[in-house]
Amino acid sequence: MGSDKSRDLRQPSGIPRNVIAERETFMRAYLKRGFEITEDLLRENQKLRHDLAQVQADNARLYAQVASEDAIRELLTTIEGLEKERNALIERSQELKRASEQYEDRNLQIESELNDLTNLYVAAFQLHGTMSLKHVVRHIGDLLFQFIGVSSYVIYLGEPDRNLIRPIGWTGCDEAALKPEAVGQGMIGEVYLTGVPRIDDETIFGGTVESPVAVIPLMVDDQVIGVISVIGLHGHKTKWASVDKELFKLLGVHACTALIAANLYDREKGPMAALAGIREKLAREGPGTNWAGVVSERDKRAVQ
Amino acid sequence: MKEFTCLVVEDSSMMRQLIIFALARIKNISVTEADDGVTGLKQLANARFDLVITDINMPIMDGLKLVQRIRTDKVHKDVPVIIITTEGSSEDKERAMALGASAYITKPIQAPQVIAKVKELLKIE
Repeated sequence: MGSDKSRDLRQPSGIPRNVIAERETFMRAYLKRGFEITEDLLRENQKLRHDLAQVQADNARLYAQVASEDAIRELLTTIEGLEKERNALIERSQELKRASEQYEDRNLQIESELNDLTNLYVAAFQLHGTMSLKHVVRHIGDLLFQFIGVSSYVIYLGEPDRNLIRPIGWTGCDEAALKPEAVGQGMIGEVYLTGVPRIDDETIFGGTVESPVAVIPLMVDDQVIGVISVIGLHGHKTKWASVDKELFKLLGVHACTALIAANLYDREKGPMAALAGIREKLAREGPGTNWAGVVSERDKRAVQ
Repeated sequence: MKEFTCLVVEDSSMMRQLIIFALARIKNISVTEADDGVTGLKQLANARFDLVITDINMPIMDGLKLVQRIRTDKVHKDVPVIIITTEGSSEDKERAMALGASAYITKPIQAPQVIAKVKELLKIE
C-alpha cells in the first residue's frame, strides 16, 4: 500500500509531487521576485529617465543662465562704455556751449564796435560832407543829439582880441542865461584856456549853462578856437557810453576843421574860386612841386 | 530771392546815412531816401515800397501825418511802417502806434536793432 501511495505521489516523470510543488512554489516566488525586480527596475528606469530629463533641463537652464550672464556682463560693459561716451559728449556739449556763449559775446562786442565805428564814420563824413556853415552847425547838433543823446548844448567860439568866448549856436537851453565867458574863468573858460576836455563821469544830470556836464575844446593844430558845452542829456541816458568820448574827440577836431573850411568856402564863389589860393601857391613854388612828398615840421615831430 | 524796397524818411542826413548803413547789411533790399514827409509821400506815389522807416519830428510834414497818409493810401495801406522816436517820448510812440505804425526804434539807433526789426516785418530769414 505504501508503495502505491508513493506511486500516487509521483508524477509521470517520476519526480515527486512535493518536489514539483516545491519547485513550483520556488519558481513562483522566483518569478514573483523577478517580476518585482523588473518592476523595480522599470520604476528605477523611469525615475532615472525623469532625473535625466530633469538634469538635462537643469543643464540647459544653467547653460542659458551662463549665456545670459555673459550677455549681461557684455551689456554692462557696453553700458559702461556708453556711460563714458555720454559723459564725454556732455562735457563736449558743455564746452561747445561755453564756446558758443563766448562767440555770442564776441559777436555782440563786434556788433557794438561796428556800430560805434559806423557812428564815427557817419559823423566825420557828415561834418566834412558840406561846405555850408549852417549845415556844419546843424550836423554838430545832430551828432550831439542823435548819436550821444545830448538834449541841450552851446557852441562857443573864441574872440582872442577881447579875451572872451562867445556862444554862436545852442539848443535846449535858456537863451537869456547865455553870455560871453571870460577866458580862464569857470569851466568853459578853463577848457578854452587849457584845451583839456572836462567830462563829468559821476553826474551826467543837472547841468547848467555855468556848470555843464561836459565841455569839449574845439581844436586845430593844437590851438583851441572854441568849445562845445554839454548841458543836458536825454532822460534815458544814465552814463556815458565808451563811444561818446570817441565822438567828443572826433567833434573836438573835425567840427573845428569843418567850421573853418565852411567859413572859408562861404566867402568864395564856388569850389574853383575856393581853390584859387592853392593855384597861387603852386604858381609861386614853380613847376614840378609835389605836395605829396612834403612832410611838415609838425608831422616830423609826430614821427619822432 | 525777392527784392525788397524800403523808403527811409528822415530829415537828418546823419540818421539817414546810419539807417542806410544798417539796411545795407540785409541782402536784397534797395533803399530810397526822403528828407521830409512830403518828399516821402511823393516817393510813395511814384513807386511801390515794401517797408517805410520814418522819423517823427520832421519839417513840413512830420512822421505821424505820414503814417496817417500811408494808412489811407490804396497801394501802401498794408505796408509795414517803422517809426524812429527819441527815448522817453512815449506819447509820440503811442500816437504813432495808434495811427497804424507797425513798430518803433528808439534813438540813438543801433544797427542790430534796425536789422532785426526790418527782417521781422519783411519776414526775412
